[in-house]
Amino acid sequence: MTKHFWQEEFETLGKKDLQKLQVERLNATITNASRSSFYSKLFGKKNIQPGAITDIAQIAELPFTTKQDLRNHFPYGFLTLPKKDIIRLHSSSGTTGNPTVIFHNRHDLNSWANLMARSLFCAGVRDTDVFQNICGYGLFTGGLGFQYGIETLGALSIPAGAGNSLRQIKLMRDYGTTAAHAIPSYLGRLYEVFEAEGLDPKKDTQLKTLVIGAEPHTDGQRKRIEEMFGVKAYNSFGLSEMNGPGVAFECTYQNGLHIWEDAYVVEIVNPDTLQAVPDGEYGELVMTTLDRQAMPLIRYRTRDITRILPGQCECGRTHRRIDRITGRTDDMFIIKGCNVFPMQIEGVLMKIPEVGSDYMITLETMNGVDEMVVEVEVRNDWFQGDIRRLDKLSKTITHQIRDEVLAKPIVKLVEAGSIPKSEGKAIRVTDNRKNGLN
Amino acid sequence: MAYEVSIFLENKIGHFERITHVLKEAQINIRSMAINDTANGWGILNLIVNEPQKAFEKLSAKGISVALRPVIALEMRDEAGGLDDLLMQVAQAGVNFNNAVGRIIQETQTAILILNIEDYQESIDKLSKQGVKILDDQTVYGKS
Repeated sequence: MTKHFWQEEFETLGKKDLQKLQVERLNATITNASRSSFYSKLFGKKNIQPGAITDIAQIAELPFTTKQDLRNHFPYGFLTLPKKDIIRLHSSSGTTGNPTVIFHNRHDLNSWANLMARSLFCAGVRDTDVFQNICGYGLFTGGLGFQYGIETLGALSIPAGAGNSLRQIKLMRDYGTTAAHAIPSYLGRLYEVFEAEGLDPKKDTQLKTLVIGAEPHTDGQRKRIEEMFGVKAYNSFGLSEMNGPGVAFECTYQNGLHIWEDAYVVEIVNPDTLQAVPDGEYGELVMTTLDRQAMPLIRYRTRDITRILPGQCECGRTHRRIDRITGRTDDMFIIKGCNVFPMQIEGVLMKIPEVGSDYMITLETMNGVDEMVVEVEVRNDWFQGDIRRLDKLSKTITHQIRDEVLAKPIVKLVEAGSIPKSEGKAIRVTDNRKNGLN
Repeated sequence: MAYEVSIFLENKIGHFERITHVLKEAQINIRSMAINDTANGWGILNLIVNEPQKAFEKLSAKGISVALRPVIALEMRDEAGGLDDLLMQVAQAGVNFNNAVGRIIQETQTAILILNIEDYQESIDKLSKQGVKILDDQTVYGKS
């Protein structure tokens, strides 16, 4: 008998049963969260009693958790367990200020790997596939997150890592890669390298499935990728605060991303009023973990804007679907798969006395690759007319920004006074990207 | 000591004109110019002008990144092989330079080669020993 689901007993639960499971798990999560110093104080103040939830709609009575809370209580304020029970952390980049760090115990990693395997299965990946993970390993969740998922699913994993297009192509051809995961903007670049090598991925590889995510993209860009590589491409959504990849995933019907409601409570709220909006309306995604022990998060404001797609999916999965992410309620942007806040760039520049603190960030597609161009003013009183000194300064800024946000910028020195001064809410980021796919 | 005027310049339409306009307003005469371009969208504009100090002040006042850098001006024969012979002497003197600009002086049938160097006094000594003629500031800046 052909298997249609990774875990039919969870994936096809009726609405009532799913909500009952959510209520049970939410109560357990609140009890567990109360062991952390952050939630014990918060719940004490708001007089929240463990076990008080009887209907999942009551979640709206609980307070929100924000990224700032995570930073303020860095590093261990959200831990519910002694450190000896923790076996891995994933952290945002950053050398200035507190990073966002998430801790996992063994249960959490198994749960994540299972959700990731379920996600891949739902996109049609099977244990017979050869899966190449074209994605940075390390603190970034896309590497290890997919790795454990592929292994749990039982496909042959190729932990290729990011970049080095010629090697990626060789791996694909040597081992008959049938499925791969990459950020969408990189696939445009990879296709150009195929072409430059006189190869056609449609004929010269066995690729049939691509998983794309970690970067905003449109349906048009997905279709373009599908045409270039002769594959089906599926949208993957995740964020490190909710583990990483494997939070929501497209099934083979490609009509929205099933968000795993046995593992997360999903709310869409108006970012101004913080009240729930009806299904179908856009708002900020708010998520609560239901199956995480070491570091549960309750009503976490993701800042991602999306909506619930009303109606049932033909695939038979009952977990609701979210639409692709259309934007952010803060100024974070994603480049080369890295989350970047303009404040991080500002922090780096403020420590370099040779340049002013005004800056402009432009996101551009150059030769099929998305680049972050950072324009910085040279200070008049530092200028000595020496081209080598300026070159060195330019390199220093490049390296320091790269160390901070992990994505390498293109630094452009500009004349003093040419960047608008920061008065109130100056717009520092202009996005001209085409994702290399238009 | 003669100076060249070095200016930070972005490779954008209208930026060069902004500089030349300031100099025109101040009635400053440009005797020679060279642009050192980088691949990064900016470069350094090096000018020899009749009044370098005034140019520096006027440009600074407009918020432009500008610096005065000492240069050495060498006399060169205005004929085939003139530059080659002179460079041979500069090399024999063991003097290294960052950038160079050449121009002819019509009234004397000679040419001058202007070098931007790092060890100013030491280089002058070496070049003098080698028998290279070093021109005075007024010859470098030309008649006002």
